[in-house]
Amino acid sequence: MPNENGKAYGLTALCPLIDDSQNDRSYAAIIKDRLRAMPLDEASPFAAVPNLYLCRLFVLDDVFFQGHPATEDHLRSKYLVFVAELHGKLAPFLEGMWRHAAPAIRELWELCIDFKRVQSPRDFARYIERCQVETTFYFNGSNDLPLAEQLKGLYLKQELAKFAREHQGRDAVSLQRAFRAFVERVEPSNLARPTWRAGASSLDVAVTGEANSEASP
Amino acid sequence: MTDAVLDLHDIQGNIVKAYGRYGFPRGRYVFFAVEDGAAGRAFVSALAPSITTSAPWRVSGSTTSGRAAPVPEVTINIAFTYHGLRELGVPRASLQTFPDEFAMGMRARRDILGDDHKSAPEHWDPIWHAADQVHIMVALTGQDERCLERSYQQLLDHARRARGVRLLVGHRGPGGADNLEYQPAAALYQNGEPTAKEHFGYTDGIGDPFFKGTGAHEANLIGGGKPTGLPPETAAGWAPLETGEFLLGYRDEAHECPEAPSPKLLAHNGTFMAYRKLHQNVASFDSYLEHVGREFPGGKEALAAKFAGRWRNGAPLSKFPTQRDADVFAERWQRAKLAVVQAQSRAEREVAKQRFAELNKQFAAFDYRDDLSGGRCPLGGHIRRANPRSALEFGATLAFEDPGALSNRRRIVRRGLPYGDSRSSRTDDGDHGIIFMALNASLRRQFEFVQQQWMNYGNDFRLANERDALVGNHPPEGGSMVVQTDPKDPRPPFFCNKLPRFVETRGGDYFFIPSLTALRMIGEGSIDPT
Repeated sequence: MPNENGKAYGLTALCPLIDDSQNDRSYAAIIKDRLRAMPLDEASPFAAVPNLYLCRLFVLDDVFFQGHPATEDHLRSKYLVFVAELHGKLAPFLEGMWRHAAPAIRELWELCIDFKRVQSPRDFARYIERCQVETTFYFNGSNDLPLAEQLKGLYLKQELAKFAREHQGRDAVSLQRAFRAFVERVEPSNLARPTWRAGASSLDVAVTGEANSEASP
Repeated sequence: MTDAVLDLHDIQGNIVKAYGRYGFPRGRYVFFAVEDGAAGRAFVSALAPSITTSAPWRVSGSTTSGRAAPVPEVTINIAFTYHGLRELGVPRASLQTFPDEFAMGMRARRDILGDDHKSAPEHWDPIWHAADQVHIMVALTGQDERCLERSYQQLLDHARRARGVRLLVGHRGPGGADNLEYQPAAALYQNGEPTAKEHFGYTDGIGDPFFKGTGAHEANLIGGGKPTGLPPETAAGWAPLETGEFLLGYRDEAHECPEAPSPKLLAHNGTFMAYRKLHQNVASFDSYLEHVGREFPGGKEALAAKFAGRWRNGAPLSKFPTQRDADVFAERWQRAKLAVVQAQSRAEREVAKQRFAELNKQFAAFDYRDDLSGGRCPLGGHIRRANPRSALEFGATLAFEDPGALSNRRRIVRRGLPYGDSRSSRTDDGDHGIIFMALNASLRRQFEFVQQQWMNYGNDFRLANERDALVGNHPPEGGSMVVQTDPKDPRPPFFCNKLPRFVETRGGDYFFIPSLTALRMIGEGSIDPT
């Protein structure tokens, strides 16, 4: 079964770029400039997208000629390639992506063929589905649970390791007291907060008290 | 397939011989700049006849043929930086075939090596401050200071006569000196006898890779070769590593000849070396052990053992989990060693030697298959990181084509001696540590990989970004190490927090150690890659 592995979904979409230019820069070059300027980690506009584990964007200029005796062949257009691994079904994810990151999506996709007709979450989902290539490519670094659960799990694991380091050697009574306070603070069953900020790479910047994302479908 | 037979007379001696084992407790590392190519070549040619080779010596009581030379008073070896080879007139077409990391030199590889903060090049000894000024290294080791001094004076004579080879000063030394004309080094002495200890008190230099063709005693195969998957206490548990991991021009563990410079004669029987002066923060180390050792089950000696994977007397945790076991073993080993020296007859000596060899084997005859959880030797213990044996299979059988698939290409030959004295004032300041030399066919694949991935990172051992407790470049806020407990042990694992940086880099560079043939060709200016 392509694209789906348990509840994880591996999306690969090739969106053709309009063959045109602006101020002496090709559209492909303009998109590359914008991709390079995009903030990363927790500042990425896609960190706000619910149930997105990881995504990558790049411009595919052409296929490489690998030398004789391979046949030389070329693509008819250049593509904005969007690769994502997410939790759940594709259409609701893409609609959520539009709802949480429409400005960034417009900025990156506006130079793609036919994208000007995309005006709503549903339009965006349909557009990406039309560009989708079936694959079995997944990001090997994640399970298939809803993102909010994974982020809470990551947060709890890091906090627990920190607790263990900071409290080793304590007597049972004071350890239990500290642990109770710890549990009260980290709220293990509250997925919304405190939890790991999506996109963050260390505990120092990761803790957020805000509700992180929509519940899984 | 027939194994390659090495021409040991053509291979520099420090590659095959650990001089310390032959009674060379003192060393001087001397560095030169070549100011005139012809003078440099004359200097090299003048030294060539006195370079110590890997050919066996006539050691008392050994069975080596009578034709072997006796052990010399001093060993002399020579090596060149990339810029040194250039100044000596090695042609550009040849220079361009050397690996990039060697051409860049150690300073330029600082990010890969983790030489940051107090290990950064601006804190190195003055001799290493000016980039590219070091061209030639001559390593002298001697049986005593008197013969070492004589050999050193002869070396300076050669340099003076060459007119155009400048001795480089600028090594730090005792009492705040920073302008020594050579890097002195010496074994640490106890009761007037040289020991194999380094400044933190560990017995060092146990376990060197065993590779094909050296004529080394078969007893060193156990623990020194690559794991076969059979019991590690037996010779069948190990196979010799391919020669090409340590010498250029031979088949390596990937069944090919390692990347090597051209022409073949320049590379053949040569190798690469990382020379590093590593300062040891003895006071910080003592104080951490004292302080955290109070909390640690088993106390500070046990904690020191967990850092290293060996007790400070050298006994490996994998075989000797308790201090008592380790002490009993060390005592028996000492007695067995003495018995060899004191044997009255040849027959008595043979028996004593066999007994000693049997005990000596225990230092290396183990792997981690019966300690996957790290309950005895922690997953991040220094010797487990530096030479994981088959541990990276994590207990899976046939995970790879052979059990050492992830470690066989990361082995290094370690050479070196301690420098400085830290006994009277166990401080961080001052000038004491270890001159560490790693010899291998590929600096990038072997030394740099071990340094970057295994010493300064933990992912391969499932330890996330934990660094080696002893030599890791812990960040200013301190590093950490988890000391695992056996799953059957009710005690929790122990967390070592706020580990300061115990070891700091104080200088060094990458060197090429040519064969005797290549050395003569460099001296003649006859390297021709066309």
